[in-house]
Amino acid sequence: MKNLFLTLFMAAISISAFSQDKQSTTSGHIKFFSSTPAEDIEANNYKIISNINQATGVIVFSVPMQSFEFEKALMQKHYNSKKFLNTKTFPKSKFKGTIINLAAIDFSNDGVYEANVKGALTIHGVTKEISEKFTITIKDGKVTGTTEFDILLSDYGVIFKGGKPSTNISKTIKVSANLNYSKVSA
Amino acid sequence: MKKAKIFKIIVLLAVIVIGYMVYLWFMPHRNVQSTKAFATIEATNLVNEFLIDNDKANSLYLDSEGESKVLIVSGIIANISIDQLGQQVVLLKNPSDKMGVSCTFIIETNEQIENLKIGDAVNIKGVIRSGAEYDEDLDLAENVILEKCAIVV
Repeated sequence: MKNLFLTLFMAAISISAFSQDKQSTTSGHIKFFSSTPAEDIEANNYKIISNINQATGVIVFSVPMQSFEFEKALMQKHYNSKKFLNTKTFPKSKFKGTIINLAAIDFSNDGVYEANVKGALTIHGVTKEISEKFTITIKDGKVTGTTEFDILLSDYGVIFKGGKPSTNISKTIKVSANLNYSKVSA
Repeated sequence: MKKAKIFKIIVLLAVIVIGYMVYLWFMPHRNVQSTKAFATIEATNLVNEFLIDNDKANSLYLDSEGESKVLIVSGIIANISIDQLGQQVVLLKNPSDKMGVSCTFIIETNEQIENLKIGDAVNIKGVIRSGAEYDEDLDLAENVILEKCAIVV
C-alpha cells in the first residue's frame, strides 16, 4: 500500500515536472521580407505554433503556409500557387531543432539569452539542416523567443526562371519570428 | 481615314491592357464573410476528416492559389485568447478530443466574442488555412486553422 502511494506520488511529480518543462504558443508571428531594386515584398503570419522544452532544449515550429498575408491580393495568389510555394500540396512548414548551448540559458532567471539552435527546416517539401541564433527573453517567468535569419529560396526548390518574379523577388528572403510562449496547462 | 481607324483601335487596346493591369494591381482580397460557405460541419468531424486521411482532406478543402474553402463550423468553445495582432481566437473543441478548430476573428468582428464564454455552443464562419494533425516527430497537436472569422446564427 505504501509502495502504491509512493508510486502515485512519484508519477504525479514527474507529470507536473514534465508539463512545467514545456512552453507553447499557437499565436506566434512570423514575417518574411524580400527586397529587390524593383520592389519590397512583405508577408505576415500570426498563426505559427511552437513548443520549447526547457529540460531537453528541443524547439519545434509548425507554420500554416496559407496564413501568410500580402498587401496585394494577386501577390498572395502567386505565392500560394504551384509555381511558388505550392501551399495546397505543402500546407505546412516545419522545424525541429535543439538548443546546443542549453546550459547557458537559465529559464528561472530573468534575462536575455542567445541560444544556438541546430535542426531541420522543411519548406515546400524540402528539408535542410540549419543553424541559427534564437534569442530567448525571460521576464517574470514569461518566455519569449525571437529570431531572424535568411533563407535561400533555391535551397528549398523555389526557383524562378526569368520573367517578372526573377527581377521582383529576392533570391534570399529574410525571415523573422516572434514567439510568446506560455506554460502548457495540460 | 484608315490610319485614324487603326489609331483608334490601338488606343482602345492600350486602354484595355492598362485597365487590366490596374485591376490586377488593385485587385481586392477576397471577402470571406460574403463568400458562400462550401459546407457546414461540426468541429469534431472536420478534425477527424484530417486525422483519417490528411491528403484527401487537404485536396478537398485547400485551394492551389490560397483561396481555400469557406466553412461554417459548429462546436463548443474550449478556449478564448488573443493573438499578436489583437485578434480574438476561439478554440472549438470537444472535451474528449485531442485537437479542435482554432478560429481567428478580425478586428471588425472581435466584439462578437465579448459575451461568449467557455462551454458555449456557436457557429463560426471562416476560411480554412490548414488541417488538424498530430505530428509525432514534433510531438505537436495541431488544430484546424480558420481565419477571417465571424459568428453566424
